[in-house]
Amino acid sequence: MLEVRGIQKHFGDQHILKGIDLSIEKGDVTVILGPSGSGKTTLLRCLNFLENADCGEMTMDGRKIDLGRASAKDKAFVKDRTAFVFQNYNLYNNKTALENVTEGLILGRHMHKDEAIKTARVALDKVGLSDRENYYPSQLSGGQQQRVGIARAIARNPEIILFDEPTSALDPELIEEVLSVMRKVANEGTTMVVVTHEMSFAENVATKVVFMDQGVIVEEDTPQVIFTHPKEERTFSFLKNIIHDTDYVI
Amino acid sequence: MNITDVKLSYLIEYFLDFIPFLSVTLQYTLLAMAIGIVFGLLMAKGKLGKNRILKGFANGYTAVMRAIPSIVLLFLVYYGLPKIFMGAFAINLTRINKVYFVGITLGLFNIAIMSEIMKSSYLSVDRGQYEAAVSNGLTSSQAIIRIVLPQAFRISIPNVGNAIITLLKEGTLGYTIGLIDSMGRANQQNALTFQNHILEIYISLAALYWILTILLDRGFKAADSKLSYSSRAKERQTVKAGEISKEVAA
Ligand SMILES: Nc1ncnc2c1ncn2[C@@H]1O[C@H](COP(=O)(O)OP(=O)(O)O)[C@@H](O)[C@H]1O
Ligand SMILES: [Mg+2]
Repeated sequence: MLEVRGIQKHFGDQHILKGIDLSIEKGDVTVILGPSGSGKTTLLRCLNFLENADCGEMTMDGRKIDLGRASAKDKAFVKDRTAFVFQNYNLYNNKTALENVTEGLILGRHMHKDEAIKTARVALDKVGLSDRENYYPSQLSGGQQQRVGIARAIARNPEIILFDEPTSALDPELIEEVLSVMRKVANEGTTMVVVTHEMSFAENVATKVVFMDQGVIVEEDTPQVIFTHPKEERTFSFLKNIIHDTDYVI
Repeated sequence: MNITDVKLSYLIEYFLDFIPFLSVTLQYTLLAMAIGIVFGLLMAKGKLGKNRILKGFANGYTAVMRAIPSIVLLFLVYYGLPKIFMGAFAINLTRINKVYFVGITLGLFNIAIMSEIMKSSYLSVDRGQYEAAVSNGLTSSQAIIRIVLPQAFRISIPNVGNAIITLLKEGTLGYTIGLIDSMGRANQQNALTFQNHILEIYISLAALYWILTILLDRGFKAADSKLSYSSRAKERQTVKAGEISKEVAA
């Protein structure tokens, strides 16, 4: 469903992504692990054209896109089929929870307003925030804001949702409410790519775990294999550190 | 003369006498605001845009305006502009109402002030919201118009209030070219009374401006809190931006 080959990205003379290949099937929950600065965020942003890759090739739903020369139409095609959940939520502060969800439906999907509201209410209900639809982001806790962020993503019914460390800006006691919403979304068969340091989520929900370091994919496999006998030394030492320290790192 | 000799009846008399002349103040302030908003917006676009020439021009303009004393610019506009128009287009500007010269002078300063306010307000809306909007299906201009600008507008309110108060006060320099606003009127009264009421006259004038400023402040505070949905974090950014407009005005 989504396949990328040889994504490269520089920031100035820093080589951030050094040729990433990734293939994602429908219903996959792909968790990307890796130390801070390894290029995980940059990779997700390139998949969604929030950042333009230098080169590489993407195939999505049969459409081939040269990432180095993607047209506005290509970008719109991909943006229409993907949604992004941000580390710091990035809700529209001038819009209520409901409006945060309807905005993209009305403007992006050209949905009629009533229909958009109906769709948004279903999404807010799914993340357990039906009673907060008229709250502004500043009136919501971090966990609630992130759940609105997830509602905003699922309401558009995208083919893939990209999550960039969705819980790492949250106080520890708020993490679980967001993870449980994510598990629910995963259980419904949504295709997800999740950058996270939540090992329990990776172990129990992921269908595939990808370990990234210094701009390359070091190894990828099922969580069972990655967590019990990783092939690469780098993967092993990363996991050892994380699992020994706490349940998450930032 | 002794401060205890100041007569309350004169204070009131002059105060009431000056009030109608506020219409002149209103005229040049409105003209300066109109100029400032229209051209300030273009300058702010230049400052925020990628075009090096426009950016350089906008920044250079602001730097020059910061350096010129108001009275110097006023003389340049009042004595210089008619000469230029006469020479270049054979148009005679000398019969035009002096209030326009003051309005244009203040407008030229205000372009610099407003462009700085607009720029800093725009930048204080976190870029993540724009990114969320475009990844959620909004076009770039929809994201700017519906998400970024409404928040930037609200953030700018206190600074715009300060800018207006600055204009009101700077406009009193119009007396140097013979404009009769409340300041000009005060000078007239002072001459007519052979400086015998000098304290009453200028205390009344000071009181008038003081009250005007209080009323404007109240109005802007009311508008500000009426539109307050934004997070507390943003309030703090407003304070930072406030210093800029004062700096430019000084
Ligand atoms: N916009 C940018 N400009 C310059 N350097 C950047 C930018 N974004 C990320 N980087 C750099 O790219 C590297 C990888 O960043 P990132 O993708 O955020 O890593 P991760 O998400 O794995 O922590 C870091 O060294 C970071 O400093
Ligand atoms: Mg990151």
